[in-house]
Amino acid sequence: MTIEGNEIRREMILNMGPQHPATHGVLRLLLHLEGEVVKKNIPIIGYLHRGVEKLGEHRTYLQNIVFTDRLDYTASMCNNLSYALAVEKLCGIEVPERARVIRVIMAELQRIAAHLLWLGTYALDIGAMSVFFYCFREREKILDMFEMISGQRLTPSYICIGGVRRDITDQFLEALRVFCDTFNDYVRDYENLLTKNPIWVERLKDVAVLSAEDAINWGTTGPVLRASGVKFDFRRATPYCGYENYEFDIPIGTKGDCYDRYLVRVEEMRQSNRILKQAMKDIPDGPIMADVPFITLPPKDQVMNNIESLIKHFKIAAGLFQVPKGEVYSSIENPKGELGFYIVSDGSSKPYRMRIKSSCFVNLSALPFMTQGCLVADLIAALGSIDIVLGEVDR
Amino acid sequence: MITVTIDGREIQTEPGKTILEVARANGIYIPTLCFLEDLLPIGACRLCIVEVDGYDQPQPSCVQVVTDGMNIRTTTEKLLEMRRDILKLLLLDHPLDCPICDKAAECKLQDLVYELGYDRAIAEGSVGVPMLHKPPVKWSTIGINYFPSRCVACQRCVHVCLERVGCGVLEAGKEDGTPRIFPAHPEKCIACGECLSVCPVGALTEAVSPLKARPWEKTKTKTVCPYCGVGCVIELNVASGQVIKVTTDEAVPPNYGTLCVKGRFGFEFINSDKRLTKPLIRQGGSFREVSWDEALNYVAKKLKEIKEKHGASAIAGLCSARCTNEDNYVFQKFMRAVIGTNNVDHCARL
Ligand code: SF4
Ligand code: SF4
Ligand code: FES
Repeated sequence: MTIEGNEIRREMILNMGPQHPATHGVLRLLLHLEGEVVKKNIPIIGYLHRGVEKLGEHRTYLQNIVFTDRLDYTASMCNNLSYALAVEKLCGIEVPERARVIRVIMAELQRIAAHLLWLGTYALDIGAMSVFFYCFREREKILDMFEMISGQRLTPSYICIGGVRRDITDQFLEALRVFCDTFNDYVRDYENLLTKNPIWVERLKDVAVLSAEDAINWGTTGPVLRASGVKFDFRRATPYCGYENYEFDIPIGTKGDCYDRYLVRVEEMRQSNRILKQAMKDIPDGPIMADVPFITLPPKDQVMNNIESLIKHFKIAAGLFQVPKGEVYSSIENPKGELGFYIVSDGSSKPYRMRIKSSCFVNLSALPFMTQGCLVADLIAALGSIDIVLGEVDR
Repeated sequence: MITVTIDGREIQTEPGKTILEVARANGIYIPTLCFLEDLLPIGACRLCIVEVDGYDQPQPSCVQVVTDGMNIRTTTEKLLEMRRDILKLLLLDHPLDCPICDKAAECKLQDLVYELGYDRAIAEGSVGVPMLHKPPVKWSTIGINYFPSRCVACQRCVHVCLERVGCGVLEAGKEDGTPRIFPAHPEKCIACGECLSVCPVGALTEAVSPLKARPWEKTKTKTVCPYCGVGCVIELNVASGQVIKVTTDEAVPPNYGTLCVKGRFGFEFINSDKRLTKPLIRQGGSFREVSWDEALNYVAKKLKEIKEKHGASAIAGLCSARCTNEDNYVFQKFMRAVIGTNNVDHCARL
């Protein structure tokens, strides 16, 4: 309770998080409440800060891959890809066609997995329990596929500098085909459960509205930006990995509220499936790794049989190599928005500086603005709708 | 003064020098494998070949002496191709040992692969049967392991033993058609480890104290060898707080890169658990660990008693060559000025 002038204001300060199931990780929101109304909302971040950028300066280009998995850990493949693209740009590496297509497949599978995770947990936030089970059922299939090719479900480190680590198998392709054929039906199921569900609509419509202008001014990217009606997608704007060869639509919203964000993400899953189907159709033959001695790892079977490859492998693994001097920035469309890597190289085997541009961080900064004056219950809906992962916010 | 042209650069130099010397003095890089600065040219590896006008064949630059008006090219496509071929022959029967090889990351062969294989493969694909690890064979001293399969037959060890050490223990020969080194006169070996220190690859490695850390895990600290009065410069290779190896610096007097058996191998005592690190007092048949205060008081008391009873010359002081000069100075001063005796000695025979 505070007294301002002659007025007595009943303001309550409340900590939401860092241990709170709806803050999706260790985020703390410092809320100034008047009754149920959020007067002020200050996100306090840093609980998951692991110093990934600083660590990057002390690890070789090769070793840094595994840190990228742990940024937005719901989208490890895409993080790998963004980092690999930045290093490839620095070193001028041409990635073989086959690897590029495999990368697109992985990135789109990962996008679907990330959106499924979001949809399931978001519905849970709002109180719809069953959607969660359906979403995780399909996500599980994708993780199984990841495990098939990389041995890892969550942190595959599969996409690496110069290409991908292992070739895809027939078993993987078969699983992918089955997934693609059936997935749209599943999306229809989710929509049947939610899209016209009156509670769902009531809870999301007109909540946490962000106009197109504000969305741009706050620097948001990804589904948050598109839900506000801005047709911007890095896959279209600055295509990488051959995205210009695939047909897909960029879904946008009209209003920029939570409901639009929901619709945009659901449609994105369908579009990703569309890309997957095209990519799967003709995967070119050829190598999966560029052959740049002393930067890209030689194939494992060569390392085990050939002293020259063994020496190359040793030198790379031990960090005894050099990359060109220079600085690069490269960014891609991650499930949550723009993920960019800015790398300054002094010519040694470790980055001089590695800066990560995180969409989660930027999108989260817009949260106080869009939740000004809303109800506490709506805050949950708003926070969930921007889809953040603290691993990437805090880095 | 004569004038030679290297890679289009005119260079004034004294007659009688080799092409390699002139090139290095002028900052022109030529790869080498067997060349050692203070020895006569060995001429075994042929990696240092250059093209010289007037010769049909490329010439080894570490052997060929410059003459007036010579026109030399050090890096042409043909030379690079030939160097790659030479390297390829070395790689063909080299075992897949890097991960378990003591020399890895400081290995000249690895460096040459890095250098010459940077933009294209040297022998990739052309290797039939992978060469597997073979155990070491006997060398002229137990302190050193010899892995013939890793040997690149550069003969540095042979020549250093003959010219620098003056022992002539080693001989180059062949076994089943493959060149290797034979410790032909082991009785002459003084176990100095010079051969070990010049081996560019992991063919000769330390047997008593095998490698415990890779180069990037260790730091080198320059210091003076504590053994004899020559005072050689040594570098202590330290990893996780332990000395794991002793090397030296070729550019620094008095030893210019050489060491003897004690300086090179005699460092394990530093981390020995048999060393005394705390004062002990003998009581009955066993020792009791005591504090420094108690120990010093005890010694002072006893010394005083002896001096009063039997005189100062009943006491003698024995110190150690392993202590610093300053420590030894203070010690003898203490014996003479405080105790009052000239009975001072130490073990200068390590
Ligand atoms: S000598 Fe060099 S190339 Fe041969 S195994 Fe040892 S480190 Fe590898
Ligand atoms: S043992 Fe070492 S120094 Fe001697 S010839 Fe072989 S590679 Fe050269
Ligand atoms: S360095 Fe000249 S032949 Fe070996």
